[in-house]
Amino acid sequence: MKVSMPFLWGSGMRRKPKHLALAMVLCVGLAASVLVNAKKKPTPGLGQQKRALHALNRLTFGPRPGEVERVAALGVDKWIEQQLRPEKIDDHAVEARLAGFTTLKMDTKTMIEKFPPPPVVKQVAEGKKSMPRDPKERAIYESQVDAYRDRQERKQAKGDQDPNSPNASDANAEQRAGLGEARMEADAKAEELLDLPPEERFQQILKMSPEERRMLARGLKQEDRQRVMQEFTPQQRETVMAMVSPQLVITTELQQAKLLRAAYSERQLQEVMTDFWFNHFNVFMGKGPDRYLLTAYERDVIRSHTLGKFKDLLEAAAKSPAMLFYLDNWLSVGAHSDVAQGRPAQRAYRRVYRGPFGVPVYRPPRQPNPNAQQKKNKREGLNENYARELMELHTLGVNGGYTQRDVTEVAKVFTGWTIKRPRQGGGFEFNQRLHEPGPKYVLGKVIKEHGEKEGEQVLDMLAKSPKTAHFVSYKLAQRFVSDDPPPALVDRMAATFLKKDGDIREVLRTLFQSPEFWSPDAYRAKVKTPLEFVVSAVRASGVDVENAMPLVQNLNRMGMPLYGAQPPTGYSMKAETWVNSAALLSRMNFALALGTGRMRGVSFDADRILPGGKVPQDRAGALAALETSLLAGDVSKNTHDTILKQMDDPQITGMRADDAARPPNLGVLAGLLMGSPEFQRR
Amino acid sequence: MLITRRVFLKNGALALVATTAIPSFLTRTVWGVETGGSRRKRLVVLFQRGAADGLNIVVPHGEAAYYAMRPSIAIPRPNRGQESAIDLDGFFGLHPSLASFKPLWEQKHLAIVHAAGSPDSTRSHFDAQDYMESGTPGVKSTEDGWLNRAVRKPEPDASPFRAISMGGTLPRALAGTAPAVAIGNINEFGVGGRGPAAAPLSNTFEAMYSQSVDTVLHGTGRETFEAVKMLKAADPARYTPARGASYPRGRFGESLRQLAQLIKADLGVEVAFADIGGWDQHVNEGAVQGQLANVLREFSQSIAAFWTDLGDLGEDTVLVTMSEFGRTARENGNRGTDHGHANVMFVVGGPVRGGRVYGRWPGLDQSQLYEGRDLALTTDFRRVLGEGVSRHLGNKDLTTVFPGFENDPRRFLRLLG
Repeated sequence: MKVSMPFLWGSGMRRKPKHLALAMVLCVGLAASVLVNAKKKPTPGLGQQKRALHALNRLTFGPRPGEVERVAALGVDKWIEQQLRPEKIDDHAVEARLAGFTTLKMDTKTMIEKFPPPPVVKQVAEGKKSMPRDPKERAIYESQVDAYRDRQERKQAKGDQDPNSPNASDANAEQRAGLGEARMEADAKAEELLDLPPEERFQQILKMSPEERRMLARGLKQEDRQRVMQEFTPQQRETVMAMVSPQLVITTELQQAKLLRAAYSERQLQEVMTDFWFNHFNVFMGKGPDRYLLTAYERDVIRSHTLGKFKDLLEAAAKSPAMLFYLDNWLSVGAHSDVAQGRPAQRAYRRVYRGPFGVPVYRPPRQPNPNAQQKKNKREGLNENYARELMELHTLGVNGGYTQRDVTEVAKVFTGWTIKRPRQGGGFEFNQRLHEPGPKYVLGKVIKEHGEKEGEQVLDMLAKSPKTAHFVSYKLAQRFVSDDPPPALVDRMAATFLKKDGDIREVLRTLFQSPEFWSPDAYRAKVKTPLEFVVSAVRASGVDVENAMPLVQNLNRMGMPLYGAQPPTGYSMKAETWVNSAALLSRMNFALALGTGRMRGVSFDADRILPGGKVPQDRAGALAALETSLLAGDVSKNTHDTILKQMDDPQITGMRADDAARPPNLGVLAGLLMGSPEFQRR
Repeated sequence: MLITRRVFLKNGALALVATTAIPSFLTRTVWGVETGGSRRKRLVVLFQRGAADGLNIVVPHGEAAYYAMRPSIAIPRPNRGQESAIDLDGFFGLHPSLASFKPLWEQKHLAIVHAAGSPDSTRSHFDAQDYMESGTPGVKSTEDGWLNRAVRKPEPDASPFRAISMGGTLPRALAGTAPAVAIGNINEFGVGGRGPAAAPLSNTFEAMYSQSVDTVLHGTGRETFEAVKMLKAADPARYTPARGASYPRGRFGESLRQLAQLIKADLGVEVAFADIGGWDQHVNEGAVQGQLANVLREFSQSIAAFWTDLGDLGEDTVLVTMSEFGRTARENGNRGTDHGHANVMFVVGGPVRGGRVYGRWPGLDQSQLYEGRDLALTTDFRRVLGEGVSRHLGNKDLTTVFPGFENDPRRFLRLLG
């Protein structure tokens, strides 16, 4: 999914928390001690320092300056135990950073009200739903209704026109001229606005007519968009952005929050596992209403079950509107169900069901015996999508020993698992009238007719299967150890999984206490995914991210858009997927942009990450200091020598030939180090 | 045209001297152009990810069973203008969104193979794509891709663009020991932007990667920087689309537009790969209009524009399309289709004997369906690709490209003239 730059895109979404800077200073002090050890050869087996680095590389999104020493001092095992208990780790700093993103805490129902999706806008435009009273919400609705009508008109105009007629290009030219006019008008308007203090400016925008706002939105240049929203409160920004695109507020807040949590949360293992499980139970943000469902999905289904029982996570995912919609199960109807057979309901019920935001689902026929024409208009029948992916991707694995017959039977079991009042953001509902009657036969077992319980029984069966234990363990080992994890380790993890009733924390403990995890073979054996690379660079360089959107867009460019994996398999964790020319160049360019301060909304300050905040005046010293901060000093001689040699080039270092005393440009050096082969691994 | 290009290449190569020695492949390219060289054959592979619905793409409108099984999504029989199939041979017809394919068909540059695909019975997108890209259905342990093996024949100083993928990631089909390059966007294919520091920065990264002991990153790094330098010298941005080549907006059209630029810039492209998603329509697939129609329009208009754009270079180009499996012959309960089996492949190009639907049609009666639900398979996709690799690219070693598959040239469909 591509996220285009919307109108009035914000730079600073929050204020910088003060305590973060303080923490940074503390880290820097600790980092000073490593400098001495920086050039030591790695010893066979991992020393305490390297153990700390390895643990940080695997359990977090990458070490921050000074963190290796801090973990080594605390004791690596003790630190791992802390990470396994995230609820006991104070995380207010990142929460403060996220405070401006109000949609993160909303339920789907509130989200739909406050940030109306297209079908709701349409209802209001057609007078089927009334405008909200709150002036801020009203401004959002008015803008959207206006945009909707504008689109309708243009569609109409386009339909009336023969595209082959010579007039068609005239119309285009007219439209272009109109845009130029709008731009001039918008410029004038923006100048007026910019003279006002923020609060008045915001009130002025609220007072504009929808048409004026549309003109402003279309005509404004990129940099003016930023300026118009300067010093707005987060809520004011949300309101202004929602006037342009309500759903973009929701999706971009979720994307930014993911990056900010990965970068700044102290509960790093929880965030790593949230990413892991989201990918395991992948849902694609671009599929229709899933845009509105992912916030709750990640928060209530994934993050809250990261280290609990697998069975609970599986069931939460199975019952989530996001998954029910993504894999189409909410539409699945048993061929012999009441609805398919046209049996009237016992109680009165709505005749026409509508899907999320107004998609009609099926129409029970008026008569019990419908003729062919009516049948054509019905939507009834089994959908196998969820059943197949449940076994292939969520539990047993593709070699899990199930057949096409099992897929069909499991699909029958889950008929009736649907979404309650989806238009209003309702949750899971079991609808008996959609459910296929009779017993089902799954993986050689009879599932007796028992309504909703059948699905729960199948989930339980799948969660307890040794195949599932093995498949989930394999994937965890692939994330934490190596692309082809040692089979003996996977077997031991699977044994723990079965013995401890799928307790994920226990499985991870087995993993983290294994010799395979600590083997020198595993050290830097994993190539970072683009997400891991971007976040690890942010963490290592100690940058302050005021606006995470440029980072989000970089991930689009690197082929890993956040929440943008379309297939249910999610993203690959293997090196071969992510090591290629285009990706490597993107990484080098990203590293340089980050180091040299060319990344919008992200500021790099080399002084902050250097031991004691001191910039060594000599080149070798400066480079060594950066190597310590960014790569815990473990840099190959080749990389070190290459950069050192290039420091003679004035174009790189920013030095003039006649001014040898001028300190080297640390940003470029940091960029080169973060783009180095060593930094691509964890 | 050729002269300006030659002069430019020379000048471009000279311009490089400032920062680095002329790479050998570049001198070779220049030399190759000057001496006329041999005409380079190209194979372009397009993957429709998500399992395209072949039965609604090339419609068997002569089958009564087709209409019986797809009451709400079938494409009506031809002769109802834009609301019906475009007849090809009285039995098959194109989905109306494929109108831009009709001229290619009439010029006999477009051939169709129906009921083709992978013989493996999996209905998992992931596995099926993996099998089709590794070229070894049913065998998971294959480490490299068939398209990589197709160019394995060593060629010293081969162009880094010999095997390329248009897109941010290198597909499984191109994984392997032969150098292959992934290009997201040719305009962003370089390091350090356009400033004066770009060259020294690029050189620094090149030195770091080319001397790294990290084998994975070392190999890719070397290929990358060779390609960066060569691309810079050839400046493919100069090659704008030819008259009448109008690419639709979107990633797929852009991929093909840029691929045409690379081919026209004479960068030595031999095999190329691009993909297009959006085919997995379990719900509301649509018929003449709708979701499938939209993605088909983007698909066919991009290919037609690419063909127009290539002009004479099309004579040496063969383009093949494929998808991991087809979809159920019957529509499901949500006016969509579920995962099926056999599918349709398009073959476009100069040497193609087009204007014909190849392959044996298995029929759609209940007894003729695969596992009682899907179009049965009568042509293995490796038969089609094997012919392209062997007769077009000239790589006769098909047992290496498709191990474990008997690919006797006598059994080729003879799609290529």
